[in-house]
Amino acid sequence: MTYEFKLPDIGEGVAEGEILKWMANVGDQVKEDQPLVEIMTDKVNVQIPAPRTGKVLQILAKEGDVAKVGQTIMVIDDGSGDGGAPPAAAPFHVPDQPAGPHQPQQASGPQSVLAAPATRRLARELGVDISQVRGSGSQGRVTDEDVKRFASVSRSSPSTVALQATPATTAGANPREELVPLRGVRKTISERMLKSLQSTAQVTHVDEVDMTELVLLREAFKGSAEKRGVHLTFMPFIIKALVPALKEFPYVNSSLDEQSGNIVLKKYYNIGIATDTDQGLVVPVVRDVDKKDIFELAGEIEALADRARKSQLTLDEVRGGTFTITNVGAIGGLFATPIVNTPEVAILGLHKIAKRPVVRDGKVEIRDTTYFSLSFDHRVVDGAYAARFTSRVIETVQDTKKLLSEVL
Amino acid sequence: MIEADVAIIGGGPGGYVCGIRAAQLGLKTVVIEADRLGGECVNYGCIPSKSLITVSRLADKVKDAERFGLRATGVSVDFVQLQKWKGEVVSRLVDGIALLLKGYHATVVKGDAEVVSKNMVAVTTDLGREEISCMSLVLATGTRTSSLPGLEFDGDLVIGSKEGLDMKSAPKRLMVVGGGAIGLEFASMFQKLGSAITIVEIMDQLLPGSDPDVVRVVHRKLESRGAKVYLKSKVLKVNKKGSEAAVEVETPDGVITVDVDKILVSVGRKPRTEKLNLQALGVQTDPRGYVVTDSRMQTNIPGVYAIGDLRGPPLLAHKASKEGMVAAEVIAGMPSAADWKVIPDAVFCDPEVSSVGLTEAKAVEAGYRVKRSRFQFAALGRALIAGEPEGFVKVISNEEDGLVLGAQIVGPEASDLISEMALAIEMGATVEDIALTIHPHPTLPEAIMEASESSAGRPIHQLKI
Repeated sequence: MTYEFKLPDIGEGVAEGEILKWMANVGDQVKEDQPLVEIMTDKVNVQIPAPRTGKVLQILAKEGDVAKVGQTIMVIDDGSGDGGAPPAAAPFHVPDQPAGPHQPQQASGPQSVLAAPATRRLARELGVDISQVRGSGSQGRVTDEDVKRFASVSRSSPSTVALQATPATTAGANPREELVPLRGVRKTISERMLKSLQSTAQVTHVDEVDMTELVLLREAFKGSAEKRGVHLTFMPFIIKALVPALKEFPYVNSSLDEQSGNIVLKKYYNIGIATDTDQGLVVPVVRDVDKKDIFELAGEIEALADRARKSQLTLDEVRGGTFTITNVGAIGGLFATPIVNTPEVAILGLHKIAKRPVVRDGKVEIRDTTYFSLSFDHRVVDGAYAARFTSRVIETVQDTKKLLSEVL
Repeated sequence: MIEADVAIIGGGPGGYVCGIRAAQLGLKTVVIEADRLGGECVNYGCIPSKSLITVSRLADKVKDAERFGLRATGVSVDFVQLQKWKGEVVSRLVDGIALLLKGYHATVVKGDAEVVSKNMVAVTTDLGREEISCMSLVLATGTRTSSLPGLEFDGDLVIGSKEGLDMKSAPKRLMVVGGGAIGLEFASMFQKLGSAITIVEIMDQLLPGSDPDVVRVVHRKLESRGAKVYLKSKVLKVNKKGSEAAVEVETPDGVITVDVDKILVSVGRKPRTEKLNLQALGVQTDPRGYVVTDSRMQTNIPGVYAIGDLRGPPLLAHKASKEGMVAAEVIAGMPSAADWKVIPDAVFCDPEVSSVGLTEAKAVEAGYRVKRSRFQFAALGRALIAGEPEGFVKVISNEEDGLVLGAQIVGPEASDLISEMALAIEMGATVEDIALTIHPHPTLPEAIMEASESSAGRPIHQLKI
């Protein structure tokens, strides 16, 4: 019998995905649960395992095609009977290709969409099919605002036609420029960053941190970490230092539910770790950090980062964060102003640790110092509150005795 | 060899505009022109013909000026000076185009272009063969006059529009074969310059496809001034007798013979594609030979674009220019496309005719509940002052919501008046919108406002029908 392998519901409102890579060819034997196809959604890249053991009869969605959830993308003969007729291929839309067979197009006539020429141009620029836009103007005129609203809505709900309306890459475009379609992770980042800045009131608070004692503390724990087979960075310590502060300042570990008009205070502590990958920034989430020791955290962070770089993260591993840490210390710089990973309320930026002259008890000393920058949503958290939170974190980081009670 | 981002073959109103826009957008641009920049429009079409038409009207008006109390004696047309002046107008525009292209750092290569591949054009210039390699290729070679079998151009008795514009005098008896836009412009012009006119048109009306009410005004005017118009007729035979000819014309009432001194054939145009190597490139064409593109001017071959007349009718300079801009912007990676709703057109016959959007017949065909209103120039102060009371403005709207669907104008300065209606349609305006917009008095555009007021149900300067 043939088995139609349909693009499964990946969850989180993902309605379609681009076939990145098939891991089996027509004629290949596949085993149930072996990774079969890599799909890029607007949220994350996922590997989907083979649903059955059998022989691949037909691949209906080529690499690069965009398939909708529920659409048959492969036909497998599971050996349970005769082959039977394969299903007719449903049309896939191939993104970002010049318009297919060319139709002569004449003026569209006065009966076409009621919108001023400049509005029509705006729609093209935003990749919006203006005939899909409901006009709010008199007699259904489509306004600039309608087009912009449609563009933002269709981005957040992938089931609309926004993808199809993406302007085509032009063969023979300006040769000194290269067109890279905005898709997948990059598209998600660009949308979420913009949305974060447009929909929140962000402020960044920066303070200096004396890391001297923590540097020593990490050295002390390094050996036992290695015995457990994990590489110990500063990250687990900082996460542990965050926990008491998040508990004491619950609004930092919250989100604003605009629809219900509530601030949701979260009594669980899932920390997102901003991770740089070839595809761009992804934020895997370490869950329930308050219940884990530094070695467990170190192991988990390492594994998640590794999976992120190999595009193997599952949706579960990138959602449900309550607070995010971004560490640019390895790259350099003094300090940055991170963008809040909405709907979270705050993000902590970690930076380069360097030996710097510090005045202690009236004397200049060389100490390991760094800067913490906390970007927060001023709609939820006030500056004083955020500053106190940051001070509380720094206090724990600088006080190894206090930190020790947290880390283990 | 010249290396270019974009090579544009043809420096007419499509090609040179494409060149300017491409260069503005930072592309290394080469425009190849075999003749003179400006193409058919500037050199052998719109510009020289309107120059002659303008003078013919002025001459006609002066001759008729006595009724205004203006006495002018000894008025005559000096063809030598007229042609010189026309040449000056054309040269000035051609030079202007060259200056613009140069100013934006586009390169102009003069010579015959032959497409070698989609990335290579060979040009035969005065200095020899020049090769141009290009990332994108824009085909903008336009159209040329078609002839009729048995009525081949001989440059003397049987001429086309190009020769018609270079005449040293007005022929005594001129036969115009083809009563389309170009034919009627020549007929009206030479009629004013003193020629006896015969028009032979194969269809059942002049300006085929135009609103019959509009055409009637022009037809009547031509006939009232002595022209003979034969519809549903065709030329059978030309019997040459020295410098003149006896032309046998088959009319619905039988075969007649007309003695003429010149025959001007304007029966359409055909795409100029010989040296474009379209077949080798694999570029798709339609059955008439026009290049097929999408609304982004892209042909089926990536990197090859076509604009203007080469894409097929309507063959209009202003359409070509807009398409040139679209092509340049698309090549530069912008999301441009031809998404205009309408393309206005204008015929500079007497009186002038212009049209935009749907005609009454087309609107009915498209299923609208059509509201039609007209305002006669005879009721408009400014038209009477100009001594041109013939014609009207006709506004076609959708009864339900008042949306403007189209407009036809026949009368004084119709060509200038139509832009308001084109804007109205592009903006999705209603007849109310136009009626409520104050138009200055006394001007010709008031006729548009009046027609719109009539559509909206409250005409002032006309009795309610």
